Amino acid sequence: MTQVSVTPESFEMVFYDAAVIGEVVAEVAERLGFEETITLEIDERSPLGRSKITSYDPIELWVDGGALENTKRPRQFGTARARDTIGRLLLRILDRRSGRFNETPDDDELDLMQFAAWDVHCVGRLERLGIGGQRQRRLYQFRNRHGFSDVADAAFEQLWDSSELSWTEIERISGDCRTA
Amino acid sequence: MTETKRPREPFAPWDRRALPGLFDVDETAKRVGHYKWVELKLFEALGGWVATVPELDVKMRLGTHCYHHAWHADLFDKRLPELREMKTDRLTLPANDHMVAFIDAMTEPEEAAMTIEKLVGVYRVLIPHKIAAYTYHRNATSEITDMPTVRILDFILQDEFNDWREGEMLIQSMIETEEELDRAMIHQTKLEKLMLAAGGIAGPGSIGDPYVEIPEEN
Amino acid sequence: MRKIFPAEELARDGRFIRQTNEQRMGDPRGARIAGGNSGDRLAKLTPELANGPDRARALMHGIFVGEIQALEGAGRTCWDFEVGEDVPLELKLDMARQCWDEARHCEISVALAEHMGTELGEYAENALLYEAACNPDPVLRLTGVNRALEGLAIDVFNTMKEFGNMAGDPVLEFCEDWMLADEVTHVKMGSDWLRRLTENDKERLDKALEFQKVVDRLFSFNGFRGEEDDSPIQLTRRFRELAGFSDDEIDEIADMSREARVEASS
Repeated sequence: MTQVSVTPESFEMVFYDAAVIGEVVAEVAERLGFEETITLEIDERSPLGRSKITSYDPIELWVDGGALENTKRPRQFGTARARDTIGRLLLRILDRRSGRFNETPDDDELDLMQFAAWDVHCVGRLERLGIGGQRQRRLYQFRNRHGFSDVADAAFEQLWDSSELSWTEIERISGDCRTA
Repeated sequence: MTETKRPREPFAPWDRRALPGLFDVDETAKRVGHYKWVELKLFEALGGWVATVPELDVKMRLGTHCYHHAWHADLFDKRLPELREMKTDRLTLPANDHMVAFIDAMTEPEEAAMTIEKLVGVYRVLIPHKIAAYTYHRNATSEITDMPTVRILDFILQDEFNDWREGEMLIQSMIETEEELDRAMIHQTKLEKLMLAAGGIAGPGSIGDPYVEIPEEN
Repeated sequence: MRKIFPAEELARDGRFIRQTNEQRMGDPRGARIAGGNSGDRLAKLTPELANGPDRARALMHGIFVGEIQALEGAGRTCWDFEVGEDVPLELKLDMARQCWDEARHCEISVALAEHMGTELGEYAENALLYEAACNPDPVLRLTGVNRALEGLAIDVFNTMKEFGNMAGDPVLEFCEDWMLADEVTHVKMGSDWLRRLTENDKERLDKALEFQKVVDRLFSFNGFRGEEDDSPIQLTRRFRELAGFSDDEIDEIADMSREARVEASS
């Protein structure tokens, strides 16, 4: 059973429950095959949707409160949104541990195009696992970074549908849009 | 070169428009005033109902149709001074008190759960009666002396047919149970009775009188 | 059907969740605006921002529900007032025309939501726009809605059009350009009717302009709409001039935004 530590333990600005969040994170982690302890720090002051991995080993994640929010009901926790946010972060950890991503720059050195391409590959896999989705939203983000063109759309399809791309392949697919 | 002195008939062989019509200027103005009143009441109601219907497609259709009928009211309003009525408000009147009662009953439903009633009133009762009255007027008036009205009615009828079809399809798509069917039929019957009492949107004679007097036998 | 239909009863299907003004203003993180929250010191909306596309999606959804409410508001103006007694027929004809335009804007917004990957009702809806359309005085209603809110729509659509242009998104740019053209017409309607209906009534004119300021202020959180380079929504002088705003009036809105910005940062 995955152990999840959520900070803060109680919330003042949003109506979140640390125990519920811990359960959702644990559920996603177990679906992805994690068995280790995960620490999640939440900045409840921010309604934005930023998220990052602050440590790969041990696993430490940081998110804006908005990244776990139900957009239909502001300040309320959104399970689907949380699954999507946490799932993407955890898949990136799995990717980096796989050996296929050894040449990947550090997270803070990735540009928006690279992030968008990797995100598409993550969310496509999450959708097939029944964890995340919003294919069209991801396509729109991808097009914003890679262009509104048939080349970009074909690249998106490849990233979304593939199950185990390497970083080199993701870079090539993304880069082909740049040169097109 | 074309022979310019060769005479031609003023009406081409294919132009069979006839001079006589059933309505004189005063009667035409009176009817146009009734039409304008009905269009006015209809576009007001459609606009008012937009906020009260939860179905997104219906909401957007009502907004679109609201303008169609406002435009019809405007066309009739602009025709009235051409029919010797400079103060158009003077003829912007209901045909009779029954017509007022009909509009009151048609515009009564407000609840969000009453979209079927709202649509039935407009698309199964009022608009079919408008199509009937406008078609009668268009076919019975002089196509020469009253051509401006005919042209207006042709534009308007185009809208009415399209709006009627869209409205009828919305109704059919919303009726999913026998109970909803009963609601639609009960409301339609209630409004048809009021329209029957009114004699049509322009009062008795809205679509003429098709019956013939049988002469007494010798 | 009643005259004056209350905002809290606006009819919606189950996808839409209403956020009250109290809930919106009571959010300690700042009120939701321009695809973000006013407490965030929002930057100008551009595709280069890491959250640019998501903010654009959220803003587009805000535009969509705003269009529904604008449609409802214009529709109610057709119903709430009597021709002759309250308003001229021509005013109602303009409002009916606006109904059609707003209905088309709803259709465009639905298509854009699909294009951007947004579900209808994905974000909470606030009925502030429609509330301005409940004013019982038709002059105040038109001034608040057609000059203040549709004026804001000019700024928002122009910002979104620029966003589409910068992102190379031909669909967004095309749609915003068309909606922008309609909004200029609606603001002009408001300007024209304000002038016509208050021609000999200075007191009513002053009340209407004051109401417009109140509405403009309500939508000036943190000065999010302004002329500074980093204002999330850019105040659009050229289109406002086309719509009947004087230079002084545009200056006043810009000043209001600047004041709100200073107030927020202090």
